[in-house]
Order: sequence, then C-alpha cells, then structure tokens
Amino acid sequence: MSIKRTLPTSTISGFTLSAVLILTFLKILLENLPSSIHRAGDELLKLNTQEGVANAVTTVVVYFRGFDTLGEIAVLFIASLGIGLMLSENSQCEIKAESNFMLKTASTLLFPIITLYGVYVMIYGHLSPGGGFQGGVIIASAVLLLLISHKDFEVPHSVIVLLETLAGVSYVLIGLIGLFTLDIFLGNFLPHDVAQMGMLVSGGIIPIIYIIVGVKVGSEMSMIVQNLIKRGENV
Amino acid sequence: MFEYLNQAESIKNIVTIGSMVLLFIGLFGLLTQKHFIKIFISIAIMETAIFLFFIGNIFNKNFTAPIINDGFKNVAIMNDPIPHAMILTAIVIGMAVLALGVSFAIEYYKLTGNTEIDKMNEMRH
Amino acid sequence: MIGFIILFTFISIITVAFFSIIQKKEADSIILFMGVGLGSVILFFVFSAPDVALTEAVIGAGISSLIFLMALKHLKATA
Repeated sequence: MSIKRTLPTSTISGFTLSAVLILTFLKILLENLPSSIHRAGDELLKLNTQEGVANAVTTVVVYFRGFDTLGEIAVLFIASLGIGLMLSENSQCEIKAESNFMLKTASTLLFPIITLYGVYVMIYGHLSPGGGFQGGVIIASAVLLLLISHKDFEVPHSVIVLLETLAGVSYVLIGLIGLFTLDIFLGNFLPHDVAQMGMLVSGGIIPIIYIIVGVKVGSEMSMIVQNLIKRGENV
Repeated sequence: MFEYLNQAESIKNIVTIGSMVLLFIGLFGLLTQKHFIKIFISIAIMETAIFLFFIGNIFNKNFTAPIINDGFKNVAIMNDPIPHAMILTAIVIGMAVLALGVSFAIEYYKLTGNTEIDKMNEMRH
Repeated sequence: MIGFIILFTFISIITVAFFSIIQKKEADSIILFMGVGLGSVILFFVFSAPDVALTEAVIGAGISSLIFLMALKHLKATA
C-alpha cells in the first residue's frame, strides 16, 4: 500500500506524541471533577413542567434557547444561498437512460408514505423524540427519491421560494408578537396549561414554532438537493 | 468482566479513549489523503467523534431519557437536556457546511479538471 | 452489560472508520462512512439520547452521505 511511502517518520512520531499528551491531559481533567456537580439542566427540567410540554429537549431548543435556533436557521439559509449561487445555471444534466418500470412505480408509491411520516415526526415533536429538523429532512429525502427515479421531475422554483419566505418571516413575526405582549422576544403568549401535558394541543407556541422550522428546513434541503442533481454537469 | 465494565468510571474511560482515537483517525485522513471527497469524509468523522465524546461523558446509568410520559415523573432522575439541544444544532450546521464545501469542489472541477490537491498549483507560476 | 455493548460498538466504529479512509475508490469510502453513522446512532440510543439519535440517523447516515454520493457523480464526469 502506498501509505508507508508518503508518511515520513517525523509525522508519525509527532502524531503519537500529541495523542499521548492530549489523552493524559484529558484523563487528569476528567478525574478531578467534583463528585456532586450541580447541573444546570435540573433547573430547566423543573421549569419545563410549567410550560406543559412533555419533551424537555424540544423546550430547550425552541423556548429557552430559541434565539440560537433562529441563528441556526440563518446558517442553513446562507448555506443554501451559497450552493444556489455557486452552481451555475448554464449546466444541463442529462440523465441518458430511462428508468425501469418497477423503479418508477415503487418510488411513486413510496413518496406519500415517506412524506406522511415526515409530517408526523414534525407535528409530534413536543410529545416524542422528533421535531422540525428531523421531519424536514425526512421530507427532503422523499423529494430526493422522486428526483433520482424520474427523469423530468422538478420541484417548481416559485413554490419553494414562497414556502421558505413565509416560514422565515412568520418565525420573526411570532417573536415580535411575544415582545409586544409579554416583553420577552419569543415569549410564550398562548395559553399553556400543565393539565394538558401529553395532548396534541399543548405548550402554547412551541409546536407552532417547530412546525414553522420544519417547513423551512424541508424546503431548503429540497432546494439544495435539487441544485446538486440538476446543475452539476459540464456545459 | 461484565461487572467491571459496567462501572461509571470504566464507561467514562472507554468513551474518552474511543472518541479520541476516532478523532485522530480523522486527523490522519485529513493530513494524508488527496482526493476532495476523502478530505470531507475525514472532517465528518472528526465531528462525529466530538459528538460521541460530548454525549458519552454526561451519561449516567441510573437516569432515563428527558421525556415525560404518562403523568409526572420525578424530574430529578432524568438526564440533562441542554447538551442534547447543543449537539442537535451542531449536527445540522455540520451538514450544511459540508454541503457548501462540496459545491465548491464541483465548481473547481468544472474549471480546471483535477480532483486531487496535489495538482492544485495554479498560483505557482 | 451496557459497558460491554459500548466497548464492542466503539471498536467496530473505529475499525470501520479506519477502513473508510484507506480505500482506493471513493464510492467505497462513502458507503463505509454510512457505517460509522449507523454505529453512532446505536451509541446515542444506549446513552439515553433519543432526539440526538434520530437526528444523527436522518442527517448523518441519510442526507449527508447522499450529498457526497451526488457530488462524486459530478466529479467523475469525463465527457
């Protein structure tokens, strides 16, 4: 194999020396931790029952650290924008072979089932593991399945732009409504009873925001995937 | 042997050493490989190692997942939900950055036609 | 029992990751990277983190590897 010819001995020795040093440093660090650490999560778990949401991770992502989720959506938007700008529009990707009859029928039958599963994971994000990010990417993978099995399938550009814009604007609008009514940006202004924990309609604005996040992430990932398939070849 | 491995200290040792070895495998791939896709895969392996290190070191055997079901459980016996939320954000952002990097590689290949970093010497003359 | 499962899964993840970098063809390297994603999903489930496991399964072993495969198709075009 060609590995031994390309690695000089100084690289290997520096590698092992740094590995040993970092491992001993980590061992010393991890052994000297105090035994009773007061976890920050204990306070949040107690506050979580006041919101009436069963999934504590959803509350942390959407409500207690909702501003970080807004920044994460911004990062995804910039990545999608960059991919759309880099891959030029002049390249035409021709799939030369027509797909098999079995492949076309099976993918047409599977697409609504996968989309339904993605919508289920998105809507039940506050009751069971799941949420907006997972459901949106599941919907994007269903679109990918249709894109690679049919030659002429294309998601219309205007539909994706409309969905993405509406979702992004309504996220900030809900935050501003919370600011005007409760003096908290992204505050919980809808009623959230503790007695409703475990029901579908519970937790105030938390499922609404997660559905908005899911719509935005799903449409963005569909756009990324479509750009990577359709716009890659040489002119 | 099973009782020795089930202690909290040995689980922490296994997680620390295992994820650091995975990090150094990824670093080795980043330094020696020449194709674009293999460099991106090495970066992704390093990110996976960091996520495993994070979640593995706050794991406590006696606690359960942070989800309340069927009435109120005692909230003191659940895991910490804050690192889970941070790792969720990190996974999504890592995927977005790698997708952008891959589109850069495709555009560079369309311009010059080489896919190895050894032959990227347009600035040398 | 949990300690043995964690040790066994870590050893398999490290082996699969090492073989993923060594390969000569790039398509094999991407498929073995999906194996690393699968192992990490199992580990996240054992660590009592279901949200992180679902996210890693959908994104790490799903969309991210498929994006690499689509880019590989464009990078190998000779015409």
